[in-house]
Amino acid sequence: MKWDFASVFDNTDALLAGAAGTLRIFAICLVCGLSLGLVIGLGRYAHNKWLYWPATAFVEFFRNTPVLVQILWFYFALPILLPFTISPLAAAALGISLNSAAFSAEIYRGGIQSIDRGQWDGARAIGMGWGQAMRRIVLPQAIRRMLPALTNRAIEIFKMSTLASAVAYVELLQQGKLIASLNFNPIEAYTAVAVIFFVFLWPLVQFTYMLERRLGRGE
Amino acid sequence: MTYQWDFTPVVANAPLLAEGLANTLKITGVSLGCGLVLGLAFALMRLSHRRWLSLPAGFVIEVFRTTPPLVQLFWMFFALPLIVGIEMTPFLAAVVTFSIQSGAFFAEVFRAGIQSIERGQWDGARAIGMTHAQAMRRIVLPQAIKRMIPAFLERSIELMKTTTLVATIAYADLLFQANEIAQKTFRPLETFTVVALIYFVVIFAVSILARQLERRLAVSGESTVH
Repeated sequence: MKWDFASVFDNTDALLAGAAGTLRIFAICLVCGLSLGLVIGLGRYAHNKWLYWPATAFVEFFRNTPVLVQILWFYFALPILLPFTISPLAAAALGISLNSAAFSAEIYRGGIQSIDRGQWDGARAIGMGWGQAMRRIVLPQAIRRMLPALTNRAIEIFKMSTLASAVAYVELLQQGKLIASLNFNPIEAYTAVAVIFFVFLWPLVQFTYMLERRLGRGE
Repeated sequence: MTYQWDFTPVVANAPLLAEGLANTLKITGVSLGCGLVLGLAFALMRLSHRRWLSLPAGFVIEVFRTTPPLVQLFWMFFALPLIVGIEMTPFLAAVVTFSIQSGAFFAEVFRAGIQSIERGQWDGARAIGMTHAQAMRRIVLPQAIKRMIPAFLERSIELMKTTTLVATIAYADLLFQANEIAQKTFRPLETFTVVALIYFVVIFAVSILARQLERRLAVSGESTVH
């Protein structure tokens, strides 16, 4: 067996297009997932049952079903109820964003709950409303504690982006498949894709370890 | 626009779904068993002072934790058989991938659990004449495993969700069967909704069990290590 990466290098353009697709869906899901997660996390923290129960149902449903099932549901099932079709990007981004929102909601809730009662009382004492206390006092402190868990989520989102290939969205793995089937070089093509993912994610993982260690010392 | 929901085609294909669920549980069970054994082996290797044991274990753990599971699965299914010259089935590729992948995650759970046991337990075991291996097997691991149970359950739930990826290499798991039924009956909405609910019911039941167990362990003074 001789390894020959020349056939992969000949297709650098295809891989670059794939990397752009991966980064695009990653950015969309990161922003949508983490911001929706904050809204739902606040809902999970609320005393009002009209906010609490829908938020809880959302979190439980999306945490306890596989992302790939959600993506296929959005791609094949949802368009039947809608007057328009859903692109592979939209289906995959919806599935991954909602799943990440459910997981990050629990991170936000845990982070907010970990903040000492006294911080709330102090903020109230100097005349802040609930929203102001949350925004100016509680969230800034909570975010610091949540940072390692949130970067972990970002890493998961990056890995989940490969699932978009199941609905033929052009990302790295999809391009790897294409190159492998055109050049009959699955060994080199899939190894190259794995290495590219590793190179992207390794620094992020190390950064998370560092955050965890620092936080462990600081608190 | 009102859509007429019709679940009869899905109900008519219930045996296919049951078979798919059985296959999903089979892959989950086999990968979980192999993953736990591999995870313990990886953890012990990584904690070893011998570099020729700790370095390869660290490498495997890092690679399988930092690359997407779907890429690993494709590599095992399409590339590995050409390198080692064996016949690869979707089932085998899935079991190999998910065993090593969950092994890599379990290794970190084992390692954290073993490291959480106080030094005094080791010293005590040594003082009454136990070797390192005996102390690990009889004193440290039994205590560590109790602390690791919640993290194991969480990982097992993740594993079950990850098994849906085998549908992309045409193994007849629950998701693959759903795709088949949707194409055959032209009822993707009903089929995928039912299958999403089946996954939810099974995984949610395991989650609730895990949470109850976690609460009981917390009461008995052994909190979650993670």
